[in-house]
Amino acid sequence: MSPFDEYIHTIIMEGAVEAQRHGSATVEAQHLLLAVAAQEGTAPQRVLAAAGLDHEAIQAALDREFDHSLSTVGVFRDSFGLSRPSATLKRLPTMGATGKLALERGFASVPRKKDLRSAHVLLGILQAEAGTVPRALALAGVDRTDLLTRVQDTITDDDSE
Amino acid sequence: MPATDIPVPQDPADALAAVVALRRLADQLEDAAVEQAMRAGWSWPHVAEALGVTRQAVHRKHAKRLIAAGVKLRRRSP
Repeated sequence: MSPFDEYIHTIIMEGAVEAQRHGSATVEAQHLLLAVAAQEGTAPQRVLAAAGLDHEAIQAALDREFDHSLSTVGVFRDSFGLSRPSATLKRLPTMGATGKLALERGFASVPRKKDLRSAHVLLGILQAEAGTVPRALALAGVDRTDLLTRVQDTITDDDSE
Repeated sequence: MPATDIPVPQDPADALAAVVALRRLADQLEDAAVEQAMRAGWSWPHVAEALGVTRQAVHRKHAKRLIAAGVKLRRRSP
Protein backbone atom coordinates (compact mmCIF):
# COMPACT_ATOMS: atom_id res chain seq x y z
CA MET A 1 0.00 0.00 0.00
CA SER A 2 1.43 3.42 -0.98
CA PRO A 3 1.71 6.20 1.65
CA PHE A 4 -1.21 7.96 -0.07
CA ASP A 5 -3.37 4.81 0.00
CA GLU A 6 -2.65 4.45 3.73
CA TYR A 7 -3.49 8.13 4.29
CA ILE A 8 -6.77 8.06 2.38
CA HIS A 9 -7.79 4.84 4.15
CA THR A 10 -7.16 6.53 7.53
CA ILE A 11 -9.10 9.66 6.51
CA ILE A 12 -12.12 7.65 5.34
CA MET A 13 -12.13 5.47 8.48
CA GLU A 14 -11.59 8.42 10.84
CA GLY A 15 -14.18 10.42 8.88
CA ALA A 16 -16.67 7.61 9.53
CA VAL A 17 -15.87 7.78 13.24
CA GLU A 18 -16.42 11.57 13.20
CA ALA A 19 -19.74 11.08 11.36
CA GLN A 20 -20.85 8.49 13.91
CA ARG A 21 -19.85 10.81 16.75
CA HIS A 22 -22.05 13.51 15.18
CA GLY A 23 -24.96 11.08 14.80
CA SER A 24 -24.72 11.25 11.00
CA ALA A 25 -25.52 8.20 8.84
CA THR A 26 -23.23 9.52 6.11
CA VAL A 27 -19.62 10.74 5.97
CA GLU A 28 -19.75 14.34 4.76
CA ALA A 29 -17.02 16.83 3.81
CA GLN A 30 -16.92 18.30 7.33
CA HIS A 31 -16.21 14.86 8.82
CA LEU A 32 -13.33 14.36 6.38
CA LEU A 33 -12.00 17.82 7.31
CA LEU A 34 -12.04 16.90 11.01
CA ALA A 35 -10.23 13.65 10.17
CA VAL A 36 -7.57 15.57 8.16
CA ALA A 37 -7.04 17.97 11.10
CA ALA A 38 -6.58 15.05 13.49
CA GLN A 39 -3.66 13.45 11.59
CA GLU A 40 -0.77 14.97 13.56
CA GLY A 41 2.49 15.41 11.67
CA THR A 42 0.99 15.32 8.18
CA ALA A 43 1.37 18.19 5.67
CA PRO A 44 -2.38 18.99 5.45
CA GLN A 45 -2.69 19.06 9.24
CA ARG A 46 0.21 21.53 9.42
CA VAL A 47 -1.39 23.81 6.82
CA LEU A 48 -4.66 23.82 8.74
CA ALA A 49 -2.91 24.40 12.09
CA ALA A 50 -0.93 27.33 10.62
CA ALA A 51 -4.29 28.92 9.71
CA GLY A 52 -5.48 28.42 13.30
CA LEU A 53 -7.58 25.41 12.36
CA ASP A 54 -6.81 22.54 14.68
CA HIS A 55 -9.42 19.83 15.30
CA GLU A 56 -10.98 21.76 18.18
CA ALA A 57 -11.19 25.02 16.22
CA ILE A 58 -12.84 23.25 13.26
CA GLN A 59 -15.36 21.60 15.58
CA ALA A 60 -16.13 25.00 17.12
CA ALA A 61 -16.56 26.53 13.64
CA LEU A 62 -18.93 23.72 12.62
CA ASP A 63 -20.98 24.17 15.81
CA ARG A 64 -21.17 27.88 15.10
CA GLU A 65 -22.32 27.26 11.52
CA PHE A 66 -25.01 24.87 12.80
CA ASP A 67 -26.33 27.40 15.31
CA HIS A 68 -26.09 30.26 12.82
CA SER A 69 -28.02 28.33 10.13
CA LEU A 70 -30.75 27.41 12.63
CA SER A 71 -30.97 31.00 13.85
CA THR A 72 -31.76 32.26 10.32
CA VAL A 73 -35.13 30.50 10.61
CA GLY A 74 -35.64 31.46 14.24
CA VAL A 75 -34.59 28.14 15.79
CA PHE A 76 -32.24 27.95 18.77
CA ARG A 77 -30.77 24.67 20.01
CA ASP A 78 -30.70 25.84 23.63
CA SER A 79 -34.47 26.33 23.67
CA PHE A 80 -35.12 22.57 23.35
CA GLY A 81 -33.58 21.57 26.68
CA LEU A 82 -33.75 17.89 25.77
CA SER A 83 -31.42 15.46 27.49
CA ARG A 84 -28.48 14.35 25.41
CA PRO A 85 -29.31 10.96 23.83
CA SER A 86 -27.09 7.98 24.60
CA ALA A 87 -24.14 7.60 22.27
CA THR A 88 -25.25 6.44 18.87
CA LEU A 89 -24.40 2.88 17.95
CA LYS A 90 -25.69 2.81 14.45
CA ARG A 91 -24.23 1.11 11.39
CA LEU A 92 -20.89 2.45 10.20
CA PRO A 93 -21.73 5.54 8.14
CA THR A 94 -21.42 5.31 4.37
CA MET A 95 -19.85 8.00 2.18
CA GLY A 96 -22.24 10.92 1.74
CA ALA A 97 -22.72 13.22 -1.25
CA THR A 98 -20.42 16.03 -0.05
CA GLY A 99 -17.76 13.59 1.17
CA LYS A 100 -17.75 11.83 -2.19
CA LEU A 101 -17.57 15.12 -4.07
CA ALA A 102 -14.61 16.29 -1.95
CA LEU A 103 -12.67 13.09 -2.67
CA GLU A 104 -13.53 13.19 -6.38
CA ARG A 105 -12.33 16.81 -6.62
CA GLY A 106 -9.09 15.91 -4.87
CA PHE A 107 -8.48 12.93 -7.17
CA ALA A 108 -9.38 14.95 -10.27
CA SER A 109 -6.68 17.52 -9.50
CA VAL A 110 -3.90 15.22 -10.74
CA PRO A 111 -3.57 13.54 -14.15
CA ARG A 112 -2.32 10.22 -12.72
CA LYS A 113 -3.19 8.43 -9.47
CA LYS A 114 0.49 8.06 -8.58
CA ASP A 115 0.76 11.87 -8.40
CA LEU A 116 -1.71 12.03 -5.51
CA ARG A 117 -0.42 13.48 -2.24
CA SER A 118 -2.14 13.73 1.14
CA ALA A 119 -2.76 17.46 0.58
CA HIS A 120 -4.94 16.69 -2.46
CA VAL A 121 -7.62 15.39 -0.08
CA LEU A 122 -7.69 18.73 1.76
CA LEU A 123 -7.62 20.52 -1.61
CA GLY A 124 -10.76 18.63 -2.65
CA ILE A 125 -12.53 19.46 0.63
CA LEU A 126 -11.68 23.17 0.39
CA GLN A 127 -12.77 23.50 -3.24
CA ALA A 128 -16.47 23.37 -2.30
CA GLU A 129 -17.98 26.82 -2.68
CA ALA A 130 -21.34 25.96 -1.09
CA GLY A 131 -22.32 23.92 1.92
CA THR A 132 -21.33 23.41 5.54
CA VAL A 133 -17.52 23.57 5.22
CA PRO A 134 -17.17 26.89 3.34
CA ARG A 135 -19.85 28.44 5.58
CA ALA A 136 -18.11 27.27 8.76
CA LEU A 137 -14.75 28.57 7.53
CA ALA A 138 -16.25 31.94 6.58
CA LEU A 139 -17.90 32.28 9.99
CA ALA A 140 -14.54 31.47 11.60
CA GLY A 141 -12.97 34.32 9.61
CA VAL A 142 -10.85 32.00 7.46
CA ASP A 143 -10.03 33.07 3.90
CA ARG A 144 -10.75 29.85 2.01
CA THR A 145 -9.10 31.03 -1.22
CA ASP A 146 -5.91 31.90 0.65
CA LEU A 147 -6.00 28.52 2.40
CA LEU A 148 -6.41 26.77 -0.96
CA THR A 149 -3.32 28.58 -2.26
CA ARG A 150 -1.34 27.48 0.79
CA VAL A 151 -2.41 23.86 0.28
CA GLN A 152 -1.47 24.09 -3.39
CA ASP A 153 1.96 25.49 -2.41
CA THR A 154 2.49 22.56 -0.06
CA ILE A 155 1.89 20.16 -2.93
CA THR A 156 4.29 22.04 -5.22
CA ASP A 157 7.00 22.36 -2.53
CA ASP A 158 6.83 18.83 -1.25
CA ASP A 159 6.30 16.68 -4.28
CA SER A 160 8.34 13.88 -2.82
CA GLU A 161 5.99 13.23 0.14
CA MET B 1 -48.19 27.40 11.00
CA PRO B 2 -48.88 28.20 7.31
CA ALA B 3 -45.84 28.04 5.03
CA THR B 4 -46.12 31.78 4.42
CA ASP B 5 -45.44 32.44 8.14
CA ILE B 6 -42.11 30.59 8.18
CA PRO B 7 -39.29 33.13 8.05
CA VAL B 8 -37.28 32.42 4.90
CA PRO B 9 -33.80 33.94 4.94
CA GLN B 10 -33.16 36.38 2.07
CA ASP B 11 -29.85 34.76 1.14
CA PRO B 12 -30.42 31.43 -0.67
CA ALA B 13 -27.23 30.05 0.94
CA ASP B 14 -28.70 30.74 4.40
CA ALA B 15 -32.05 29.22 3.45
CA LEU B 16 -30.45 26.04 2.09
CA ALA B 17 -28.12 25.76 5.09
CA ALA B 18 -31.15 26.13 7.38
CA VAL B 19 -32.74 23.10 5.69
CA VAL B 20 -29.59 21.03 6.34
CA ALA B 21 -29.36 22.22 9.95
CA LEU B 22 -33.05 21.59 10.66
CA ARG B 23 -32.81 18.02 9.32
CA ARG B 24 -29.82 17.41 11.55
CA LEU B 25 -31.57 18.93 14.55
CA ALA B 26 -34.67 16.80 13.83
CA ASP B 27 -32.49 13.66 13.84
CA GLN B 28 -30.93 14.67 17.16
CA LEU B 29 -34.35 15.47 18.57
CA GLU B 30 -35.68 12.08 17.43
CA ASP B 31 -32.81 10.22 19.13
CA ALA B 32 -33.41 12.09 22.39
CA ALA B 33 -37.22 11.89 22.25
CA VAL B 34 -37.35 8.15 21.46
CA GLU B 35 -34.94 7.43 24.30
CA GLN B 36 -36.96 9.61 26.67
CA ALA B 37 -40.20 7.81 25.71
CA MET B 38 -38.70 4.32 26.01
CA ARG B 39 -37.16 5.17 29.41
CA ALA B 40 -40.65 6.34 30.45
CA GLY B 41 -42.04 2.90 29.56
CA TRP B 42 -43.55 3.55 26.12
CA SER B 43 -43.80 0.58 23.75
CA TRP B 44 -42.35 0.42 20.20
CA PRO B 45 -45.82 0.53 18.53
CA HIS B 46 -46.76 3.53 20.64
CA VAL B 47 -43.57 5.44 19.78
CA ALA B 48 -43.91 4.45 16.11
CA GLU B 49 -47.48 5.71 15.92
CA ALA B 50 -46.52 8.99 17.61
CA LEU B 51 -43.73 9.50 15.07
CA GLY B 52 -45.94 8.45 12.16
CA VAL B 53 -43.61 5.66 11.04
CA THR B 54 -43.80 1.86 11.13
CA ARG B 55 -42.83 -0.11 14.23
CA GLN B 56 -40.16 -1.87 12.19
CA ALA B 57 -38.64 1.44 11.10
CA VAL B 58 -38.37 2.87 14.60
CA HIS B 59 -37.06 -0.43 15.99
CA ARG B 60 -34.45 -0.75 13.25
CA LYS B 61 -33.29 2.80 13.81
CA HIS B 62 -33.10 2.92 17.60
CA ALA B 63 -33.21 -0.53 19.26
CA LYS B 64 -29.50 -1.34 19.11
CA ARG B 65 -28.48 2.01 20.56
CA LEU B 66 -31.04 1.90 23.38
CA ILE B 67 -30.19 -1.69 24.31
CA ALA B 68 -26.51 -0.71 24.45
CA ALA B 69 -27.47 2.24 26.68
CA GLY B 70 -29.20 -0.17 29.08
CA VAL B 71 -32.74 1.11 28.47
CA LYS B 72 -35.36 -1.44 29.55
CA LEU B 73 -37.58 -1.96 26.49
CA ARG B 74 -41.27 -2.93 26.62
CA ARG B 75 -42.61 -5.47 24.17
CA ARG B 76 -46.33 -4.62 24.19
CA SER B 77 -48.51 -1.53 24.10
CA PRO B 78 -49.83 -0.32 27.46
